[in-house]
Amino acid sequence: MNNPDTLTDQETSRPSGLGWEEFSREVVEFFASIKLAMFLFIAIAMTATIGTVIQQGERPEVYIKEYGEEAYRWFVRLGFIDVYHTWWFTSLLGLLCINSLTCFYKRFPAVWRSMRQDKVSVTLPFIKGMKQHTELSVSSSQEQTAAQMVRLFAEKGYRVLAKKDAGEVTIYATKGIMGRVGAHMAHLSATVIVLGGLLGSSYGFQEFGVCLEGQTYHIPRGNFDLRVDKFWIDYHENGSVKSYNSTLTVIEDGASTVTKTITVNDPLVHKGIWFYQSSYGDAWDQIEVARVNIKDKSTDKVVKTVDLEWKKEQTVEGLPLKITMTDFVADFAFNSTEKKVFSKSAEHANPAVRLAVDEHNSVQATPWIFYHYPDLFEVKDSTYQFELVGYQPKKFTGLQIAKNPGINVVWIGSTMLVVGMTLSSFIYHRRLWAKIIPADTGVTVHLGGTTHKSQIDFQKEFKKLTDKIQA
Amino acid sequence: MARSLFLFDMTFWLYLAALGLYIAYLFARRPTMELAPAGHPSGGYEDRDGAWAAQLGQVATLVTVFGWIMNTLALTTRAYERMEHSGTFAPWSNQFEAMSYVSWAIILGYVLLEYRYRIKAIGAFVVGIGFIAMGAASLLPYRYQTAEPLVPALNSYWIYIHVSVTLTSYAAFAMAGGLGIMYLLKERAERKGSRSRFYEAFPDLETIDELGYKAIMIGFPMLAFGIILGAMWANYAWGGYWSWDPKETWSLIVWLIYGAYIHARMTRGWEGHRAAVYAIFGFLMVIFCFWGVNFLLSGLHAYA
Ligand code: HEM
Repeated sequence: MNNPDTLTDQETSRPSGLGWEEFSREVVEFFASIKLAMFLFIAIAMTATIGTVIQQGERPEVYIKEYGEEAYRWFVRLGFIDVYHTWWFTSLLGLLCINSLTCFYKRFPAVWRSMRQDKVSVTLPFIKGMKQHTELSVSSSQEQTAAQMVRLFAEKGYRVLAKKDAGEVTIYATKGIMGRVGAHMAHLSATVIVLGGLLGSSYGFQEFGVCLEGQTYHIPRGNFDLRVDKFWIDYHENGSVKSYNSTLTVIEDGASTVTKTITVNDPLVHKGIWFYQSSYGDAWDQIEVARVNIKDKSTDKVVKTVDLEWKKEQTVEGLPLKITMTDFVADFAFNSTEKKVFSKSAEHANPAVRLAVDEHNSVQATPWIFYHYPDLFEVKDSTYQFELVGYQPKKFTGLQIAKNPGINVVWIGSTMLVVGMTLSSFIYHRRLWAKIIPADTGVTVHLGGTTHKSQIDFQKEFKKLTDKIQA
Repeated sequence: MARSLFLFDMTFWLYLAALGLYIAYLFARRPTMELAPAGHPSGGYEDRDGAWAAQLGQVATLVTVFGWIMNTLALTTRAYERMEHSGTFAPWSNQFEAMSYVSWAIILGYVLLEYRYRIKAIGAFVVGIGFIAMGAASLLPYRYQTAEPLVPALNSYWIYIHVSVTLTSYAAFAMAGGLGIMYLLKERAERKGSRSRFYEAFPDLETIDELGYKAIMIGFPMLAFGIILGAMWANYAWGGYWSWDPKETWSLIVWLIYGAYIHARMTRGWEGHRAAVYAIFGFLMVIFCFWGVNFLLSGLHAYA
């Protein structure tokens, strides 16, 4: 840095005392240091890579298969399977917040002061010691030169202060302090964003809902009901998917209030709760229609094929039968302790339906029949054998349901970050000092200037200014 | 589709020609001149050029501008084709288009830089990177080069702004990386006391350093903006603004790397050599974020 006064870290060693004052100064010094900031930036960057290489939040088998058991145990110990929520990663983020806040606390007051008032009187060696400095001979009088320079600086957008003492005039001109303010705005923004994130994770929620067409679901946290009217998929001409759509209706106190068709990039927002189109699939505990072949056991011939609708009793024409489809599972499994049938996954791996059969008003049975194993069970005493030969699955739409009360805080922080960084990038703080000293003919102007960055631009501007003064 | 691909091809050849011309410009004979005092370049750098160099330099600039116009045409044609096909136009919707867009932004940045600072020697490096981006794009298999309709997750207005802002910041970092390489070359030549005319067209070290810093200062807020736009999009599309998906994590990593850089520059000793090495390192990380992540890691951002 070529800035003669301040801004750089002045990590001078002080005699260490035991007093509270010294201690707190040391602490502020430590937490406001740029070295710590650099360390944190790099440390966060390096640890963040872990989670992009090792899959996060998977089941243990996945890691064991890929890395082995020993490695997996280490992963768990070090938190590598959920890096971004480990205590050490969160601490790094917390430290960065403390670091930037302390930096603000320590350095912003100086920026604030120089916004209101700045040091005008400086010594001649101070000006000569600046990176940009020049000495000009001007033939007009001291007052004229001073007036001309003040006008020139003001025209260029500088804030100008002048002072006259003991035969010499000192002019101070400054511009671009907003660049500095911007940097500090960026420093505050980090904490605002993190706070918004905390607010969201403490008071918000994120859930996944599997919803069937035509059903109504209660949303307890919003105290309203949601009906899924329809789900469908649109396609492009070439057969690729164009969009997934669900039509949703909000029902409050029994009355429909809002209806909206959501797609992947267009959620429904109601009372701060967001409903996103997230996935879709075939339901595992319900179907629309089942096609069942009815065979005569004695001849082993299909005598009838019926399409059964979900939970609707159907009288089979020409046969003394009434059949109802009462249950469906996509992946049949039996819990022997509870004596219950359930679907062991959402995959349609071993689909089965349960029928309620009423034959001649005499035989009553509720057999499970299997798509893949048509001969597994038979209904005793019945003349008929039933076979599941096909079915039409019921689509579900997967809705992501989320509420994030911290979101607006995050956006405020983000705006501060972008605005602050942009200000600090495109506006640079520069200061000029000039002393006008009477000479044999006219005056001598000593002009010096400093900036904390954009040296070449400043050099150009400085040259233009000196040319103007000389002219 | 054929039309835009033809224009992309033309762009590639023009950039190659421009690169060749800029390199020739560096090798062209220059009248020996007295050394300007450090930090105070005497006037424009063009003043140092001999007759041959001046002409080569002019042609190089012309070809670059022409190439850039071709690049613009290619992108707009692609946008039009996309519009006809699938109703969205963003000509940066797959890896190929994104890279063509990055080279477009790099070359635009370079032309502006040359216009403003009148330093042609940088062309050999920065146009070089723009050319490599374009070249790498054209080496992608054909199926990556065509304009397939967007998958539903990407089919949104957000793609226009989020992707273009992020890619533009990459272009700024590419520029800084090119300047870093240039700095190291020039520095080595100075250390060896080389008086080769090749290096005479180079601006002085301080200027190269400062320009590299400026490029990063443009890229840094832009990347922040791009990441935040991505977060807003994610909030709109996926039910959460941040999900630590590899691409977004990597862009954050890149941003943090440059954050360390801008703060390091405030401490003594982080200008010049170290800054140049760091800018090159940062650019390599950008390349990984842009390419590596798409091909090596999985996630929501895998375009193809
Ligand atoms: C948390 C994320 C941070 C962000 C986004 C950030 C951003 C920025 C930006 C954009 C600038 C302006 C750079 C320039 O003008 O060249 C800046 C300057 C600065 N930063 Fe940070 N910074 C962060 C953290 C920190 C931390 C932790 C420190 C602790 C020492 C720090 C110390 C400084 C200092 C001293 C300046 C110069 C201020 C001035 O010009 O008056 N920053 N920062």
